[in-house]
Amino acid sequence: MYDLIVIGAGPGGYEAAIHAGKMKKKVILFDKKYIGGTCLNVGCIPTKTLLKSAHVYHDCKESGLYGITTSAPKFNMAKVQARKKKVITTLTQGVEGMLKRSKVKVVKAAATIIDKGIVEAEGKTYKASNILIATGSAPAVPPIKGIDSKGILDSTSALGLTKIPTSLVIIGGGVIGLEFASLFSDLGTKVTIVEMLPNIAPGIDTDVTSHLKEGLEKKKVKFNLGCAVQEVKNKTVNFKDKNGTKRSVKGEYILNATGRRPVTEGLGLENIGVNTNRGNITTSDEGKTNIPGIWACGDVTGRCLLAHAATAEGLVAVNNMFGTPTTMRYEAIPSVIYTNPEVACVGKTEAQCKDEEIEYTVSALPMAVAGRFTVENEGKFGMVKVLVGKAYGQLLGVHMIGSHCSEILQGAVTMIECEMRVKDVKDIVFPHPTVSEALKEACIHAG
Amino acid sequence: MATPILMPKQGNTVEECILIAWKKKPGDEVSEGDIIAEIETDKATFELESPASGELIGTFCEEGDLVPVLTNIGVIGKKGEDIEAFRPSEDTPAEEVSVSSAPSEPSAAAPAATTATASAPVTKAEAESVPQAKTVSPRAKKLAERYGISTDAISGTGPGGRVIEADIRAYRATAPRLSSLAKELVKDGYRMPQKGTGIGGMVLSGDLGKPGIPLSNMRSIIASRMMESLQEAAQFTLNASAPAAPLLAARKEIKAQKGKPGFVDVNLNDMLMYITTLGLAESPDVNAELIDNKIYQHDDVDIAFACDTPKGLLVPVIKEAQKLSLPELATRLKTYAQEAVNGNISPDLLSGGSFTVSNLGNLGIESFTPIINAPQVAILGVCAIGLKPVKTSEGVQFVDHIGLSLTIDHQAIDGAVGARFLKKLVERISTFKLSTEISHV
Ligand SMILES: Cc1cc2nc3c(=O)[nH]c(=O)nc-3n(C[C@H](O)[C@H](O)[C@H](O)COP(=O)(O)OP(=O)(O)OC[C@H]3O[C@@H](n4cnc5c(N)ncnc54)[C@H](O)[C@@H]3O)c2cc1C
Repeated sequence: MYDLIVIGAGPGGYEAAIHAGKMKKKVILFDKKYIGGTCLNVGCIPTKTLLKSAHVYHDCKESGLYGITTSAPKFNMAKVQARKKKVITTLTQGVEGMLKRSKVKVVKAAATIIDKGIVEAEGKTYKASNILIATGSAPAVPPIKGIDSKGILDSTSALGLTKIPTSLVIIGGGVIGLEFASLFSDLGTKVTIVEMLPNIAPGIDTDVTSHLKEGLEKKKVKFNLGCAVQEVKNKTVNFKDKNGTKRSVKGEYILNATGRRPVTEGLGLENIGVNTNRGNITTSDEGKTNIPGIWACGDVTGRCLLAHAATAEGLVAVNNMFGTPTTMRYEAIPSVIYTNPEVACVGKTEAQCKDEEIEYTVSALPMAVAGRFTVENEGKFGMVKVLVGKAYGQLLGVHMIGSHCSEILQGAVTMIECEMRVKDVKDIVFPHPTVSEALKEACIHAG
Repeated sequence: MATPILMPKQGNTVEECILIAWKKKPGDEVSEGDIIAEIETDKATFELESPASGELIGTFCEEGDLVPVLTNIGVIGKKGEDIEAFRPSEDTPAEEVSVSSAPSEPSAAAPAATTATASAPVTKAEAESVPQAKTVSPRAKKLAERYGISTDAISGTGPGGRVIEADIRAYRATAPRLSSLAKELVKDGYRMPQKGTGIGGMVLSGDLGKPGIPLSNMRSIIASRMMESLQEAAQFTLNASAPAAPLLAARKEIKAQKGKPGFVDVNLNDMLMYITTLGLAESPDVNAELIDNKIYQHDDVDIAFACDTPKGLLVPVIKEAQKLSLPELATRLKTYAQEAVNGNISPDLLSGGSFTVSNLGNLGIESFTPIINAPQVAILGVCAIGLKPVKTSEGVQFVDHIGLSLTIDHQAIDGAVGARFLKKLVERISTFKLSTEISHV
């Protein structure tokens, strides 16, 4: 009899297991594929590793801007892939070590819930007072003719490419599609994005996304927005543009980046009647499902498809299981797009404020107001935009684009998490010279 | 020679200070300059130094007392020395000073020049025995504002439960932290939650309760009139019911006449108002007001009725109702009710009633305890029509009955009088005939 069974060893599941283990609970963790889940193996970490190599390659090519002459750099895909593997191994081993130290039993097998509190894996049954479902998500396959045919990439296979494509058509202009667009365009691939919506990166501030689009266009990325894909055939994507005109684009490779779907097949949800909504497991802010003793966190809930959100939800669920009532707060979940230039956001967008009828003021400044940005980024653009509540001056949202903004985002997260007013931000001392000073300036500028 | 310890005068505006704590107790040896007490004004907390060396031979106030400045609070001297000469305001010993008179009314015996010393300190015991609204010392208030703490949740330890600076500090030591935004909102009247959901239990804006909605002018008037009524009258309620068949039959007849020339729609409420008016005309005891121990019986039936309006309860009065026919009364009722709802009823029509009727029957109420419209001595509550078992020659039958709840002021009327009035109404209802009433006109 265990205190907790965790199904899925992604950032939702493994962090929750470690947390419960540290509370001296008896915990067992199942994963059918890999420790670290999507994030470590085929998600956040491998994409960022490849993007880093692309960044270095790009910087080498631009070294002249900083007064350095080099011979033309070469991108060695095999070596880059080897480094990616090494990074993944280092990190997954780190997770395995933490699991061990927290006395979490790990079973590498698919698990099925056969009844309340009972899980089966490899023919053996396990009992626990709590089950946390953290089975994550997988690439979605939309109902487009030919999209599931052989040779069409998804994010997982794209991360394993051993050669640089000469041309790539990406279906989907969301975060994942954009990161691949940035990666391969930096390597010289001719990238075309076909997106159904009129904007890229839905949910992100539109001033930021229009700068991002410009940034990627400089890398020769072509955007077909408001275009519905009809069929994929012979390495060609056929679509109708916003005027209804039929068009097509050909690529050496085609990447399906249309989204993610929750992974629940073989999990046995039907055995106990767990409620789902379009496949996503429905949870409360405490991490509870409709069935007592069954909890869920992460991508499988469909609430916020980000690794740190999965972790936070998992910790909240464990706290609630073992006597420290907490609720998940979604107000200050940061999000980053690791394109070049990168995007970092937290809090409400203008659209959300309008939707929720919150009166706000906007303050937007170029990042160059911080001297360090100019030092670091020869001829590059960056922007910090803050939204501030009209009545009380509290920080509602921070939306940034520009090199290294992901690393200063945490400051903004803390400010919003603590419901600071711009007045309070002015009292905080920022290190000089750093790009973070642009955030402070934007707050001061707000009033 | 003994030396008195004075409550010091801290600036020109401070008239009284709170003695927070004695740092020495009677019998202790003190040297000049020793800290003997801690004091709070609305501006600051400070330490009081001993004015002399010797023994603290007596104290005249307790911790938490609110003491006028320049009052003797204790005496330093030699053991055995008489301290009574220093006791403040001997003519009004502390035990006899009431909380309300202390700060404002100087005692007659005190010299006029030292108004501030005139009233003796309020003792804690007294203060506690007098229930009163919570007060907050100005300094405590300022501190609470600075920390964004609502004083609602804090029980004061000062005189009369006054919240003092120390209470704010003590509360803050254990209270949850507030986010910067939450603090602003608390200042604007938002209410503190039990606990915060932010990091480390930080109270976030979403955790706060909405600010209280102040009573509208009209609600405040209703509120105080209701409270006055309950406080000043010995109210008790009698419940009875009358067979409703005659009323229902009459109503049916009226409906059948709809569309005929001169038709007036008379509903059940109109009939009941009419019947009550007839009953009151014969019951001067009930058709009366009680003012200053005198009963004023009205010659006319000035019947008031409770009217539900969007802004709250209004009670229009139909003067000399006994002179009106049923259709006339019905018309008058409709007009006044409409004007009350529209908010354009003349204020003259909202006073001067001799008796009130409140009808909650259409809302399904089976019985209630109406509150007297003071200084009237009675009010009739009309309730819903419901089935009641009645024993007849053919066995028990279920018969429609209308409920009546009569509240009377027992100061003016005895139970039997009220009961007889109610009985009269029941009889009138059970023998009600539309033809007689209409032809009666
Ligand atoms: C290309 C890409 C890039 C991304 N980049 C970022 C990023 O930069 N930042 C970010 O925050 N997020 C990023 N994400 C999203 C992030 O990876 C996910 O939000 C995160 O991994 C979700 O964690 P999880 O624990 O819910 O599920 P997952 O990480 O998907 O883990 C679920 C685990 O459950 C296992 N499992 C499933 N079913 C069973 C079963 N029946 N029995 C046993 N085991 C089972 C799976 O094998 C898997 O290991 C990226 C995703 C992708 C695809």
